Amino acid sequence: MGEPAEEEPHSAAHYGVYAFKPKSQLAMVDAGIDPYMGVAVWLEAHRQNEFKYRPAQDRTAVQRFGEMNGAEVLQVLLPLFIVLMTFSAFAGEREQGTLRQVLSLGVSGRTLALGKALGIAATLGVVLVPATVLGVVAIALTAEGGYLAGDPLRAVLLTLTYLAYFALFIAVSLAVSARATSSRLALVMLLTFWFANGLVATRAAADVAATLHPTPSAIEFQKAMEAELGDPHDAKERMERLQAETLEKYGVTSLDALPVAFSGISLQSGEEHANEVFDQHYGRLFDTFADQDRVYQAAGLVAPMLAVRAISMGLAGTDFNQHRHFVTAAESYRRDIQRTLNNDIALNQKPGQTYLAGAELWNQVPDFDYTAPPTGWVLGNVRTSLTVLAAWLLAAGLLLFRSTGRLTADA
Amino acid sequence: MLGRIVRHEWRGLTADAVLWVIGAVFAVAIAYGVWNGSRWVDFQQAALTSAAAEEAARYDGLKAQVARIATGEEKVSPFADPRNPANVGGRLGPRYATLPPGPLAPLAIGQSDLLPYYFRISTDSRENIVATSEIENPQRLLVGRFDLAFVIVFLFPLLILAITYNMVSAEQEQGTLALALSQPVSLATLVTGKVLLRALLLVGFVVVFSAVALVATGTSLASAGVAARLGLWVAAVAAYGAFWFALAVFVASFGRNSAANATVLAGAWLTLVIVLPSLLNMAVTTLYPVPSRVEMVQAMRVASDEANAAGSALLAGYYEDHPELAVGGADQAMTDFNVIRVAVNDDVEKRVRPVVDRYDRQIARQQATVDRLRFLSPAVLMQDALNDVAGSGVPRHRRFMEQVAAYHADWRAFFTPLIFRKASVADFDATPRFTFAEETAGEVAGRVVWAVAGLALPALLLGWLGLGRLRRYPVVG
Repeated sequence: MGEPAEEEPHSAAHYGVYAFKPKSQLAMVDAGIDPYMGVAVWLEAHRQNEFKYRPAQDRTAVQRFGEMNGAEVLQVLLPLFIVLMTFSAFAGEREQGTLRQVLSLGVSGRTLALGKALGIAATLGVVLVPATVLGVVAIALTAEGGYLAGDPLRAVLLTLTYLAYFALFIAVSLAVSARATSSRLALVMLLTFWFANGLVATRAAADVAATLHPTPSAIEFQKAMEAELGDPHDAKERMERLQAETLEKYGVTSLDALPVAFSGISLQSGEEHANEVFDQHYGRLFDTFADQDRVYQAAGLVAPMLAVRAISMGLAGTDFNQHRHFVTAAESYRRDIQRTLNNDIALNQKPGQTYLAGAELWNQVPDFDYTAPPTGWVLGNVRTSLTVLAAWLLAAGLLLFRSTGRLTADA
Repeated sequence: MLGRIVRHEWRGLTADAVLWVIGAVFAVAIAYGVWNGSRWVDFQQAALTSAAAEEAARYDGLKAQVARIATGEEKVSPFADPRNPANVGGRLGPRYATLPPGPLAPLAIGQSDLLPYYFRISTDSRENIVATSEIENPQRLLVGRFDLAFVIVFLFPLLILAITYNMVSAEQEQGTLALALSQPVSLATLVTGKVLLRALLLVGFVVVFSAVALVATGTSLASAGVAARLGLWVAAVAAYGAFWFALAVFVASFGRNSAANATVLAGAWLTLVIVLPSLLNMAVTTLYPVPSRVEMVQAMRVASDEANAAGSALLAGYYEDHPELAVGGADQAMTDFNVIRVAVNDDVEKRVRPVVDRYDRQIARQQATVDRLRFLSPAVLMQDALNDVAGSGVPRHRRFMEQVAAYHADWRAFFTPLIFRKASVADFDATPRFTFAEETAGEVAGRVVWAVAGLALPALLLGWLGLGRLRRYPVVG
């Protein structure tokens, strides 16, 4: 904060402090919404400010093709590799006639499917295991005790989530390959599924969510809030009421006779009025985003990637819920500062004098100490996605089980 | 001969369900994309209308208030006096600088959902003014929008590849190729005919359907620059389509089977459309990282601390909010503070400018690198060109930001002398206004022509190589 030694408390309140959102270690795997959300929020007197400086605005338009980070590779590219490795597993063998030979040995379709799935998983493992080990080492080396440092559970859950995602892709691909009349058809169907899952559903879900729960424009949002806020110092009625109440409370007839400085009381009353307005308006906006996020999660029923993304961002600490958690903490810290400073004015300011406070007051304001929400809280937020992912895994397994039960060598 | 091949192919293609399925998917995707784009344009326009209304109402209020003060009906503290130029230029009378949606905006949302398109211009520092942005769910910004540009950049090549990947190999696998070539026709001519028909169908479809959809959104082809830009759009789409058709011919010329062609082409699509752009993004952000704005915020704080040490503007801000705490002559305090404030603002801007310039330079370096390397990926070239033509790309926004900077300077230049002379604002309508000076279609064409060339040249090269190889194609065996 670069605290001034001697300063008028409310002047210091206007100067304010900046709060910066800490980065979790797993954000290196899944940056989530971080590039599209601001990084800094200014905590000043009278106002709840918005996050400013979206890193994405400091990038070129190529950014919109996606970042080559862990999440992108795991959610979009790897499923495509699975499709390309798997589409001809049964259909191709059938076309070449080798499936007939294998089945004539008395191997059941299901055993064959299991073997193929394990084979593909092993191939993936050859690439993924060293990549994961390298990733963990890289994170461990670069991070200096980020706020998730003590939570290996999140990393484990993240790994399990992606393994489930790959498993379901392998199962769906094998099932389609077993059913399809030709490997060409299997490839077309699987590529369509991949394209719809990774590229279309995300966008379509965002459109549906914004239609169901419309986002206001910044100008409308500001207008509505300003209208209710009024000028915090011009709310005459409120001020007169407050004066009357204060005089009655202390049993005196003039403000000068008060044992406390009225300016401090009026400042705090202004803060509290504004806080109600902020709670209402920002609350509504954040609820809108949360509702939209719930639509994304529900849309996971159509595209499993949406479920995986929600869980992944949640565990990486880069989803909207955790952003909101931080914003709420920062805002409550802002309110604490204001209350402390205003109370100090009320107690110490003398009529007609400029009051300067010193170090003992600044020391009363604690540093902003943010604790990230626990993993259980995060999992609660993405429980829809967890259920959806489990359902997909189960359905994909059943599909594979059924379509390989009556595996025939002829198309 | 070519005409007969095309007619024969036409009968073959239209009898196949694949073409109809692709046509239907494409039609739905285009219609949805354009509809989505036009909804976003409507949203922006509603916001801009709302801004204009807010500004007009505020100015009416100020004029009425001045009239009431003149008749002695209302008394006002110097800190909220609508005649005081410092108050008007600062808190009371800001005007909006707005960027209207581009001429073909419904076709490409581009960067317009991320970059701010209106600012409230006041005497506050430019860094503070331009740090605002439109409200949006960050997850929506992350995934991007489903607009026509998305359909063309991502889906269009896939559909092209879907109807071309086996145009030679399937005939060979079915044994009809040898039969066809027993006629007096070369394989190269046959393939040219096949590709020509498919290209005319698909490119024609996307061009006609998007033009129809654009008109359906209410864009008039007669308005300034629209027709010319639509021409550029068509040229870019045709060049992009040509590239993918040529790639399919080139791959076909190797004489592999259909499945192998499909895999190679799918891999090429994945590399050029998904992987290369992401790698390009990673390369430029690694080569020219833009430091976190945290550093800028700190620098701005230090700068204003230092400036404030010279003139106590903090106190001014404080009194502005708290006239009741002003000890000893509010009027005197106010006029002095306003003068100090102008000086302090100026000083802060001078100190902060080099820091902000560092960010701008770094972004410019990224952009320059992308501008050079975009030729590696037809998808990046295409996205860039479509955004540019539609008016939702980076160059038009940069132009807007330059005009905003100039307007902000005008705004200050208007109020500063009044503040120093301690004069009052006589005519509210005389305060500077902003109108975005649109670029001409010629300027856009000057940029887009490079993208079209960057797509057409590889297309010609691949097509030439492919047809050359087809002359030595192993028809039997």
